Amino acid sequence: MTAGSVTPTTTIAPCEPDAPAIRVRGLRKVFGATVAVSGVDLDVPAGAVLGVLGPNGSGKTTMIRMLLALSRPTAGTVELLGAAMPAAAGTVLPHVGALVEGPGFHPFLSGRENLRRCAAAEPLLSSREIPDAVQRAVSRVGLTSAAGRRYRAYSLGMKQRLGLAAALLVPRRLVILDEPTNGLDPAGTRDVRTIIAELHAGGATVLVSSHLLTEVEATCTHVAVLDHGSLVAAGPLAALLDGEAPALDVRTPDSAIAMQALREAGIGCSIGPTGVRVDLAGTDPPTVVALLVGAGVAVHEVQRWRTGLDELFAQLTEGNSE
Amino acid sequence: MTTSVPPSSTTLSGPVHAPLGRLLRSELRWVLRRPRTQIALAILALIPVLMGIGIVATDSSGGSGLFTQIAGNGLVLPIAALSISLPLLLPLAVTMAAADALAGESAHGTLRGLLLAPVSRTRLVLIKAVGVLAVAVAAVAAVAVLGIVTGLVLVGPSGTAHGMLTLSGTEVGPGSALLRVSLAAAWTVGQLAAVGAIALAVSSITEHPLVVLAAVLGGLIVFGVLSAIPALDWLQPALLTTGWFAITDVLRDPLPLAGLASSSLRAACYLLIGVVLTLARTATREA
Repeated sequence: MTAGSVTPTTTIAPCEPDAPAIRVRGLRKVFGATVAVSGVDLDVPAGAVLGVLGPNGSGKTTMIRMLLALSRPTAGTVELLGAAMPAAAGTVLPHVGALVEGPGFHPFLSGRENLRRCAAAEPLLSSREIPDAVQRAVSRVGLTSAAGRRYRAYSLGMKQRLGLAAALLVPRRLVILDEPTNGLDPAGTRDVRTIIAELHAGGATVLVSSHLLTEVEATCTHVAVLDHGSLVAAGPLAALLDGEAPALDVRTPDSAIAMQALREAGIGCSIGPTGVRVDLAGTDPPTVVALLVGAGVAVHEVQRWRTGLDELFAQLTEGNSE
Repeated sequence: MTTSVPPSSTTLSGPVHAPLGRLLRSELRWVLRRPRTQIALAILALIPVLMGIGIVATDSSGGSGLFTQIAGNGLVLPIAALSISLPLLLPLAVTMAAADALAGESAHGTLRGLLLAPVSRTRLVLIKAVGVLAVAVAAVAAVAVLGIVTGLVLVGPSGTAHGMLTLSGTEVGPGSALLRVSLAAAWTVGQLAAVGAIALAVSSITEHPLVVLAAVLGGLIVFGVLSAIPALDWLQPALLTTGWFAITDVLRDPLPLAGLASSSLRAACYLLIGVVLTLARTATREA
């Protein structure tokens, strides 16, 4: 399928059955003078759980909105499930469940009535299946007891759960969740993880955006990191986090003694920013600390030194990226 | 929970749609169940009732115009009520519905849900237009039906024919009188459809329902001001509100149709412009 081709007929079937669930090329979005997303190339294999990481304002939501044809790219192409968007929206979107920019519902209707309204628009649901589908979705997100209450009276977490229920009304091949754990309590966060794991086990592809590394680490097979609208890293989570040389930062006023003790023990080390940086190859932190204390070094603080991607994640997702 | 996901190797067939009838039913339920719609309809239904009570209470012997005409001539009441509600109250109800239809849905984030289902953008406009039209019909029906009932119960039909005394002094039977009320109601729905289409077009541009309300009602007021300036006479044929006095034509005998027809034609032009603008704007709207 050539990118950007608009097929006028009603059959916009994918040419490759094993096409990636999401394929993005040269995606760019400009609002006036602001570049929100720039030059994003991304392939998400079918069945993967992709965590999109990035601080607030890094372009996560803008990218997701373009994936779903809610917003037009300034440049670049998007293919979902092997078909070009937005031309194939009518073909592709029935198989896609999404929660974007927080839940959107009518305050004067109950949670269940809101879902029925969503279900009425779902092409893959027959009218007969709607009550059951709504009930299933409601119980899946743990809202059964609150389903009859007006949306107006919902807490932030309940609203988020209802948004998740709307995305899961129909068995999906691709589920896109934009910060699904916003406003959720720890139990809710756990529920979201369980749902993502279930979707993954069922063969669906999941894209979940977050600004928290911990949230992504637990559930994702793949990671993409966005910063200032650009993709700074992407790939399988394990591959990205592997190959990092582990090291330990020791804060101490006695650098010289520490260096000497470590060298005598055959442990690599160098002068670090706050004391000594210890190479952990062939040893582990307890051994190092015991050695240093035994040598009479005043150890004030010991911290795992984060390298490369790990550090990048930490910087980007823990709010000290400026 | 066992939810089977179709294997990802199955190819996608062509575009699929939810049944249009189901979408329309869902939209009508949403529109008519909304508290503000119900309150607006209730207030509109009160207008003929209050007018009827006022007429009976004052037992008008003096005065002039439509009101004196209603005394002892109950079937004029629905038409008088429609003509009094037409300049502002009925357009307000319709504009409110149109404001919620696209701008309001966008503000709530629910438009996104519809587009993601997906509902195609052309269908979206169709569904929304039907919803707004439903409010126009319901609003006019509320005024007309309560007008007929109040007119017959409180004021009573006119004279020996138990029908309607026309402005021309002749008397028509109850069947003809009801037909004239129906004609006035249908004509009013047409005018409101024009207002609704323009309101929907504004609604497709913004995500603030209040902007729609302000723009359309402000526009109607400006139209009123423009038509009052003699130097701007040449502008009259272009103004939607110009023909709105034609509603009292249904009280004349024989019935002059020219005014009703030309104002309906004008409304059709506004309707077309509104729908085309809405379609064009919705096609590229970012939700």
